Amino acid sequence: MSANVTNADWAAVLSIAVLGATGLAVLVADLLARTFVRRYIAIAIAMIGIIAAGAIVFAQYGTHYSAFGGAFVVDYASVLFQGIVLLGALGSVILYGAIGEERRIAGALALMLWSACGAMLMSGAGNLMTIFLGLELLSLALYALCGIAERAGAHEAALKYLILSSTATGFLLYGMGLLFGATGSVALSALSNPALATNPIFWTGVGLFFVGIAFKLSLVPFHTWAPDVYEGAPLPVTAFMSVATKAGVLAVLVRVFLWSLPSQHVSDMLLPMWIVAGISMIVGNVGMLAQRDLKRMLAYSGIAQIGYILAALAGGSAEGFNAALYYFAAYSFMNLGAFAVAAMLSGDREEGSVIANYSGLGYRRPWAALAMTVFLLAMAGLPPTAGFLGKVFILRSSVETGYVWLAALLIVGTAISLYAYGRIVRAMYDRSTHPVPAAKPFVPLAALSAAICAIAVIALTFYPFSR
Amino acid sequence: MTPGLLPMPLVDYLALSAVMFFIGVTGVIVRRNPLVMLMSIELMFNAANLLFVAYARAWLNDAGHIFAFLVITVAAAEAAIALAIVVIAFRASKNVDVDEASALRG
Repeated sequence: MSANVTNADWAAVLSIAVLGATGLAVLVADLLARTFVRRYIAIAIAMIGIIAAGAIVFAQYGTHYSAFGGAFVVDYASVLFQGIVLLGALGSVILYGAIGEERRIAGALALMLWSACGAMLMSGAGNLMTIFLGLELLSLALYALCGIAERAGAHEAALKYLILSSTATGFLLYGMGLLFGATGSVALSALSNPALATNPIFWTGVGLFFVGIAFKLSLVPFHTWAPDVYEGAPLPVTAFMSVATKAGVLAVLVRVFLWSLPSQHVSDMLLPMWIVAGISMIVGNVGMLAQRDLKRMLAYSGIAQIGYILAALAGGSAEGFNAALYYFAAYSFMNLGAFAVAAMLSGDREEGSVIANYSGLGYRRPWAALAMTVFLLAMAGLPPTAGFLGKVFILRSSVETGYVWLAALLIVGTAISLYAYGRIVRAMYDRSTHPVPAAKPFVPLAALSAAICAIAVIALTFYPFSR
Repeated sequence: MTPGLLPMPLVDYLALSAVMFFIGVTGVIVRRNPLVMLMSIELMFNAANLLFVAYARAWLNDAGHIFAFLVITVAAAEAAIALAIVVIAFRASKNVDVDEASALRG
């Protein structure tokens, strides 16, 4: 490891630094601003910061650079995952700006920006220390964000998330310790030594590491926290968790399990991971059926969709990785969009997260209902949405690489999920239901992001960047 | 003591670390008081620290020492946030038992 740090190294993490500084700027501006413009100044600064960071990230597209002696890597994957993190951050900043409490807005936005910094650091992590640092930066800000609302449910969600997530971090860290012991190095590149394939300490470390990752991705059997935490956390924070957090952790999973482990024996040793993915698809989709809260439903939906993404990765082929990235991009847009529609229907009490409030929506708020229909169809994987094309790519890659049983589970899961998503769509266009149409303020920012997400979910179908 | 030589066999450190980790995991599963659960989590972190430090000496790689310092620092930050959350949860419910925190169905 070289002791010399060059300007190019700092340029590699410039986007993260910009995002972190934006968080500070939001807090300072909040102190200086007059009361009635505070909300708009905070949102404007946060959005400018995220867009600037996004520009820096996409300027790195096509380059390959290993910064700080391999601790941080800039490549195709880091750029795309960081792009998705920033997209998630932008969407949730807009939603928080639209429906968040006035006096907490600056604090919440700053925490979201710092949390996104952690996820971006994970996206390009090249050694175990960077992974740990990114994960903790991401998680510590999220613990505070979960408990930021005044409701008792929010505090309970924060406490649950804190204890379970820290335990998972403990597993992950102990796994890292064993990996360091087996390899004698913290670099991920050291994990590819073929001699390690028969080392029990190494595989114990890999197993504990995977337990931590599976928890953070809410894979079965480590998924039970997700519905509770999604329900208790404020709606924009839930949107952030469902996109940005998963992007960071997924990037680590790809870098460690698919790109670093010794290729010999890997597909056999990783079999438990694909089994977990298969069970997640079924459990997530079945869990969705009984939910009356949209956020809980989306938590189960997220469990299933991460299962689909892992199924794409199962073969370890470049095509599978592209399919996973494509599906994850589509997933980000449809999830952010669904949360944006929920925000459009929400007042102080987050009425938009109660599924019963969607009945008859097609006649009260036709555009909101149309956008929600697009997102639900995309999650169910129906054309003409990116969700459909993404599932086709995943099926193709898992069949080609010999994981036909995963493809079969994906189809079964999709069939179950059609009922859950279809239930909401039918309720929205059901004329016979006449709930009390509560007067809801029009939320232009949330409506705008819902519209952008809806267009993106359809437009991605015509731009399948998966090769 | 010459660098690279541990005063005890490496396996002793690993055994102690594994025992600490196991006690930590058991504590999180068995105890219902969030403060005790957080202490158990700290024990898990420190078990990992012991691994890093012991292996750093065994491999003559200082990255392990640095990692241990990083973990200590981050764990302190985590404890600060954790205690704040326990305090607000306590204020809301007037008790600190995770079994009482069941308004959200598991």
